[in-house]
Amino acid sequence: MKISVKIGKAVFKNPVTIASGTFAHAEKYYNLEEVKKLGSLIPKTVTLRAQEGNPPPRIIETPSGMLNAIGIENPGIDTFIENKIPSLQKIGIPLILSILGHTDKEFIQIVEKLNQVKNISAIELNLSCPNLKHKTLVAQSEKATARLVRSVKKISKVPVIAKLSPNVTDISSIAKAAEGAGADAVSLINTLTAMVINTKTRKSALGNFTGGLSGPAIRPVAVHMVYRVAQRVKIPIIAMGGIMTADDALQYILAGASFVAVGTANFVNPRAPLDVLEGIKAYMRKNKIKDIRHLIGKVES
Amino acid sequence: MPALQNIFKVASNDKLSPRFHRLCIKSKPLIKDVKPGQFVHLRVRDGLEPFFRRPFSVYRNKKHLEVFYEPIGPGTELMSQLREGDDIDVLGPVGTPFSMPGKNIKQVVMIAGGIGIAPFLMLSDVLKRRNLDLVLLYGGRTMGHVYPMKEFKENGCKIFVATDDGSVGAKGRVSKLFSKINKDPKTTMLYTCGPNPMMAAVQAFAKKYHLKGEVACEEVMACALGACLGCSIRTTSGFKTVCYDGPVFDLDEVIFD
Repeated sequence: MKISVKIGKAVFKNPVTIASGTFAHAEKYYNLEEVKKLGSLIPKTVTLRAQEGNPPPRIIETPSGMLNAIGIENPGIDTFIENKIPSLQKIGIPLILSILGHTDKEFIQIVEKLNQVKNISAIELNLSCPNLKHKTLVAQSEKATARLVRSVKKISKVPVIAKLSPNVTDISSIAKAAEGAGADAVSLINTLTAMVINTKTRKSALGNFTGGLSGPAIRPVAVHMVYRVAQRVKIPIIAMGGIMTADDALQYILAGASFVAVGTANFVNPRAPLDVLEGIKAYMRKNKIKDIRHLIGKVES
Repeated sequence: MPALQNIFKVASNDKLSPRFHRLCIKSKPLIKDVKPGQFVHLRVRDGLEPFFRRPFSVYRNKKHLEVFYEPIGPGTELMSQLREGDDIDVLGPVGTPFSMPGKNIKQVVMIAGGIGIAPFLMLSDVLKRRNLDLVLLYGGRTMGHVYPMKEFKENGCKIFVATDDGSVGAKGRVSKLFSKINKDPKTTMLYTCGPNPMMAAVQAFAKKYHLKGEVACEEVMACALGACLGCSIRTTSGFKTVCYDGPVFDLDEVIFD
């Protein structure tokens, strides 16, 4: 059975990855032998300088999902390279690093620093975090997306992925712009901007006022967006949005995704990524599918 | 090391008082490892509602792993319906435990409000072996918030109660009971858990008399593993997660809003 997949020149032994911001402290909590079985890991987004994140409350449970407004709390790229990357690399799983600059120049500065680090499989540009008080996101403009992807591609030593926002009129046009600028893959979707109001206090339930919706609640929306993007681009799609089970992941693969990322499910079931991987293999065995490429985009119309 | 996440069987699930329930879980592999102040993150059933697990301090680790809880929402209501033999998905124990009082400590005062009493029974189980003056100051809204606390008595705790309406014990907040605390920083150690205003009052009292203490915090949590950074609270050294950096913090470290 062949389940390996490629992004640019990078090869991954299987299509299951852990989505950004949903996994940490592996050495303390996880059986690393098991984590190693996954295709890749995308650690939490890193910015140029340390960010303390948004005021609490930062999360709230919603029907079949959650809102978050963490605000990219992170130690900054220098500390991340020095303190976090070594322990992440010890796991022995390919790393896709998620980065966010508040300007194009900051993105470039981060990539220049990452160019000095060995054994990174790819860089994911977070163009779509909804919780940072930016008036518009890079991923809400074809022009801005293309400009940024082009300038990162010029210098990056590793494949570049553009992470797109669902908070747009037509996500496939943004994906097309990223592809045109040289992106090696697109990942979608980031969270949907959303809010919950506490009717007792008549205030937002989150310290940041709005947040990003994730979990199974958004899955049908995201599956459709992946389908739409797959109709327009040829580069691989990393799909995420409420994947809890192998069946969820297979929907994305059939819609056109080469990779699936398990995110919010990690908060409920830390074994979810492994369950998804095992389930995909079981589905392929049962349906006598020898190569996962024979499933990608094979939804019938 | 036991696995991070396990399916165990419910041993019993009893109502101890009009408000408070106790869930006993047959979870032998965890009993040896768990320390006072740590918590388990429970999933009552498969499915998407409620979506999050729910964190609970471990109440006791004798024959079973015990959780003390108050049904106040859909998650805890569901939990109250569990019966002997039902499955329960247990993640943990996780989080930082209470640190043990130093050798010079003579009086240990546990100050709890409502369901905040949950982490203190196991603490008293451990501390009763030492020759300490164990004191429990307990605040509840009314008589309905007070329960027998038999196990605390058996552990030799001196128990003092305050209720907002005076239906049991002193009338007023638990701060009415602070006179029971020896104001000697060398020999007194405080532990507190409860609503934020109560813990803030304990913090202010401790600061005034230079007393050492620890606080067990609670927040809405998603992962409980320090990954999502959703349960962060303000501390004197920036945001810290209740699940991973806590739930136990130094009393003077937490900034209560």
